[in-house]
Amino acid sequence: MTRKTAIIAANGGLFDAYKVFNIATAAAATDHAVQIFFTFEGLNLIHKQGNQQLKMPAGKEHFAEGFAKANVPSIPELIEMAQDLGVKFIGCQMTMDVMGLEKEHFVDGIEVGGAVTFLDFAQDADVTLTF
Amino acid sequence: MIHTDYVLDAKGLACPMPIVKTRKAMKDLQTGEVLEVQATDKGSTADLQAWAKSSGHLYLGTDAEGETLRHYLKKDGLSEVEETIEIPEISLSSFQELLKESSLTILDVREEQEFRDAHIPGALHIPLGDVETRAQELPKNETIYLICHSGRRSAIAGNILAKAGYENLYNIVPGMRDYNGKTTSL
Repeated sequence: MTRKTAIIAANGGLFDAYKVFNIATAAAATDHAVQIFFTFEGLNLIHKQGNQQLKMPAGKEHFAEGFAKANVPSIPELIEMAQDLGVKFIGCQMTMDVMGLEKEHFVDGIEVGGAVTFLDFAQDADVTLTF
Repeated sequence: MIHTDYVLDAKGLACPMPIVKTRKAMKDLQTGEVLEVQATDKGSTADLQAWAKSSGHLYLGTDAEGETLRHYLKKDGLSEVEETIEIPEISLSSFQELLKESSLTILDVREEQEFRDAHIPGALHIPLGDVETRAQELPKNETIYLICHSGRRSAIAGNILAKAGYENLYNIVPGMRDYNGKTTSL
């Protein structure tokens, strides 16, 4: 029986992106079925332009050097890797409506769904996380 | 020194890349082959152990060499371990009683020097590390009594021989450590 990891991404900063995509790729690499539900600011993480210029939290900009030194992959790279590993991205329909965003504004391959779409996957997930 | 079939260079990569690369590399290996993952990410030791465990592979260990960690993983090895066949045990005292009455086929699996120093007269000798490759030297239709120093190595040898199709095996517990019968040396 495949194990399942369900993640809610509700914040839109660079640190949030790393938390979400590192856990997601690690879980997928361990053969978990992974779904991420992007809602509110979380949608930033998969926005075509937005995900290329995510911001560090105010006052933490000096960590940029550490990221480079540790040879951490970029967010677009992690997104591609996650999708290659079969991680499923779901954009929150309601938030998209509120923000006037369409599916085309996001990286290819996402699905758009409501809360129930995600809950259906999450109800028997082995790991459930919120970032 | 662990024999490796494939080397993955994940040096300089940060989490979760070593795991992602390992997963990809492991796909190209055959069951039983060993992957060596070279990494500098200090978290990779714990990560690879956990990854191996949940992916059905056997984590064999890690060698550190300067900054570089060499992790060894055996593909699908976990199921092998789970399928361990435990052979029946015989107490050393019962074995010594039997030995007084009849001649028995005994396999001593200790190392060369231990065997040279003192062993039961007539005992066959194959060090544990060679049991898998030299199993065919043993008679298949006889009961074989396995012995080592304590009973631990002989249990592993028993598992190997049972998998190779040997049926009448007994592990002597404890082993030569407490044996007080006749011995001979080389």
